[in-house]
Amino acid sequence: MNPFMPRAQHRTALILFPAFDWCISPTHPEREERLLYTRDQLLEEGLEDIDNIVFFNPELASHADIDRVHLCAPSSRKLLTESHLISAGGTLRAARAVMDKEAEKAFAIVRPPGHHAMQTVFGDRGFCIVNIEAVMVEYIRRHYGVRKVAIVDTDCHHGDGTQDIYWNDPDTLFISLHQDGRTLFPGSGFLRESGGPSADGYTINLPLPPNTSEEGFDTVMERVVMPILDEFKPELIINSAGQDNHYSDPITNMNFTAQGYARLNQRLNPDICVLEGGYSIEGALPYTNLGIILAMAGMDYSHVREPDYDPARFRQPEDMNRYIDAICDKALEVFANRGRSKNEVLKKKVIREQKSIFYDTTGFHVDEGRQFHLCPECPGFTEVTATSPRARIHAFSVPFNACPDCQKSARKLFDAAKPASQTITALQDRVADIYETK
Amino acid sequence: MIIGIDVGGTHADGVLLDGATLVAKHKVAVDQAHLHESIIALLDTLVPDDRRLLERIHLSSTLCTNAIVTGSLDPVGMLIQAGPGINPDYLAACGQTWFFDGAIDHRGHVIRDPDDGLIDEAAAAMAKAGISSVGIVTKFSYRNNRHERYIADHLGSRFAHVSMGHRISGLPNFPRRVYSTWLNAALTPQFLRFKESIEQGLAHRGIDCPCHILKADGGTIPFSRASEFPCESVHSGPSASVMGCLALAGGPGDAILLDIGGTTTDISLFVDGGPLLEPYGINIAGRPTLIRALNTVSAGLGGDSTVAIEDGGFLIGPYRSGPPMCQGGAGPTPTDAMVVLGLLNIGSPDTAQAAMRILSPADPPEQTAKKLLDDFAARIGDAVTAMIDLVFSRPVYTVAALLHRRRITPERVIVIGGPAAALKSFLETRFGLPCIVPPDSEVANAIGAARTRLTVQATLYADSADGRVSIPEISCLMNISNSFGMEQAEAKLHEVICDIAMEMGMTDQPEIDFIERLEMNVVRGFSTSGKIINLKAQIRPGLAAVKGGSL
Repeated sequence: MNPFMPRAQHRTALILFPAFDWCISPTHPEREERLLYTRDQLLEEGLEDIDNIVFFNPELASHADIDRVHLCAPSSRKLLTESHLISAGGTLRAARAVMDKEAEKAFAIVRPPGHHAMQTVFGDRGFCIVNIEAVMVEYIRRHYGVRKVAIVDTDCHHGDGTQDIYWNDPDTLFISLHQDGRTLFPGSGFLRESGGPSADGYTINLPLPPNTSEEGFDTVMERVVMPILDEFKPELIINSAGQDNHYSDPITNMNFTAQGYARLNQRLNPDICVLEGGYSIEGALPYTNLGIILAMAGMDYSHVREPDYDPARFRQPEDMNRYIDAICDKALEVFANRGRSKNEVLKKKVIREQKSIFYDTTGFHVDEGRQFHLCPECPGFTEVTATSPRARIHAFSVPFNACPDCQKSARKLFDAAKPASQTITALQDRVADIYETK
Repeated sequence: MIIGIDVGGTHADGVLLDGATLVAKHKVAVDQAHLHESIIALLDTLVPDDRRLLERIHLSSTLCTNAIVTGSLDPVGMLIQAGPGINPDYLAACGQTWFFDGAIDHRGHVIRDPDDGLIDEAAAAMAKAGISSVGIVTKFSYRNNRHERYIADHLGSRFAHVSMGHRISGLPNFPRRVYSTWLNAALTPQFLRFKESIEQGLAHRGIDCPCHILKADGGTIPFSRASEFPCESVHSGPSASVMGCLALAGGPGDAILLDIGGTTTDISLFVDGGPLLEPYGINIAGRPTLIRALNTVSAGLGGDSTVAIEDGGFLIGPYRSGPPMCQGGAGPTPTDAMVVLGLLNIGSPDTAQAAMRILSPADPPEQTAKKLLDDFAARIGDAVTAMIDLVFSRPVYTVAALLHRRRITPERVIVIGGPAAALKSFLETRFGLPCIVPPDSEVANAIGAARTRLTVQATLYADSADGRVSIPEISCLMNISNSFGMEQAEAKLHEVICDIAMEMGMTDQPEIDFIERLEMNVVRGFSTSGKIINLKAQIRPGLAAVKGGSL
């Protein structure tokens, strides 16, 4: 222990990888410069010399790590650049740091982000191609046998990709706090979106009104997130730590602060944080990232304040408080009723859902149908059919917690499926860790 | 001709070199309390008859290191401005400290000026406390030194020595900058006294050649500049030894350097023929600093290390509890094993054999000794591997850098120190590499001091969106046009380093390496408003060119 440096109470690993040589396009918000000021702030603070804070370089995720989660068309090899594999690999390094007990907690400060990437992937959506949290969670399940995981998404945009991937998994509690979808991309994340037939009540959406501030987030954390987590008892808590609820973010309308993000993380006490969005790269990110790190590490964050921080600016009107309270009540009800409908839907054996997915970066729609083959023993497997203007996916996806019968049924259907032109026919079996296409 | 002097804890070694040829060497006992007298006495034995032939004196001195070890540093008043970030209270650990309320952000923008009243209060309190050395550090001063200079100007000439953070190093890391600045301020008064005594001694003997001080980064600086940055003379011993080995056994490619002593083995690495540097700086007096230094790791493995049996294997080190058994010590050591195998001819061979029997009563002593030295070499090998791993895992920030990281792959092992020759074959087996034990290695440090050339490092941060460039090492903060680009930035930094080198007495055109290069568009509102350019360049540590001859 060095008496001349502060000490982190919790040993914390940081995977800081700003990818200074990668961008979606030079003037896109997801550009080279995005984490420059964050890196500068973190290095100037001397975090590298603080006792119990350790830095690791990311590794490259393998395509098998990606295919365990996603169904890519034409393939993960064709869609992903090395930067995507490094960003996903950053989360894998964070996971290993925690699971191998190199650290108590880890924060992957990597880019590009991932929470808009759904199970099927045809291209870039909301700056994301790979859902880096999901890749990490399935990696942890595969290699460390963890079952119950909670993902709390504090990005300002609804984490629709993560919701999609874990829609029918009662072992993954997904909670998203975000700006109301009626006012922001991707336009989803309403209370009624509460999970698939086998996992109803395990997706909790908290759509917050524009200008929600420290007070509103405090209320939601205190009234909803923490009590639900206490009841769900996850083995791991993951924070999708987007930082675009910040009052200075250029593409959102919230009123959150570095102090607020730090307090949220102190309360949530996540095992692993993964950076998502956040595009106020000078006025917010250096402070919010530092605040989150200090909170994770159990250090004093009281001096982490934006240069123009003025607490008076962050008081919420009474009617907003009442509105948020009502959302909390409804969300608690969703969770309280979890799993109640399963016996009823089991009678139907197969439930079909249809949706249209918009890829905003290049502008096209995908029509997707999912048939949930239900099972009394497990969440069941899913048959996915998705069609973009250029390609089609027909896949059978077996979750990590499926029973042997469902595993066999999916294999049988896959074997019987006829390959078609322009179509990726795939079997994704997470129990056997198999990804096969024909 | 050049004189190199290396002052150690008990002795000082000196050499006189003509080009690369060793003309004379001498050793004297050192009285740390009167260091300059010992140095002058040693000089008297080395100075050539014709004093005009003496070009330079290079000195690796323990003055500053001793001042730190014995705690005889001068009191410093620290004036610190942290701004938003980690609670800075912990930085008040170096004596009297005042915190100011101004702030500069990560891009070098002034957020708020410090309050004059607070500066005046601090100045009055320091004056009252009889403080004459002041250290001033603001966060992000390497991006914008305005507040450090403002505070210094405000103090005026009331204090004898003022050290400013941005002048010490252009690297980020606020706590390291604070501790480096404190150390510099705390060393300045006694360094100036030392310089004066040495200069008087030289003048008295009619020697008027320049005198250089060895730094921890394997380079030198002239006395005149060292009096502004005395912190750079700290911890120059390892650097003398590394540079000595470079002179005695250097070559292209990567290599491992082992300095095996009685208690520890110091490990250094040569990469592409040059010594490897620490990413920031060394720890001094327990504090992390920005004092540029060679990367050395000290492993608790020496000839006199304690040896015990643990889980059926040998536990070697990390401590020394006395001399080896063959020289009257209490327990077995690796040195005893070397004596048993006839690799070292010291002390009593019988007692050395007895030492091996303590470790393994049933086996022949030769067998135990061989196994012990195999293990000793293996432990050193493990320490080297760990160090190479650590270097490989230094953070990188670009996709290209991550994908093209190169692991150090040593081709040779250079070994110096007492047991070097005795361990040669064991190390060769462990590393699977040729081992070189250079001749004259007992004066390697002094030779290193003599042959070392000056080093300079400088950094540049240009922000053309803001229209400003900062070169902290020369306190430069000036306006630039929006079109300022990489080419101009490199030319500017090149010129700055050449100027510093010339000022320091370098006569030939220096070779300058750019070791960090970052160029990034600043995009605001979907259009490019300028560029941020970050450069770091150096004259790397190396040997001064010599005319003909070799050692």
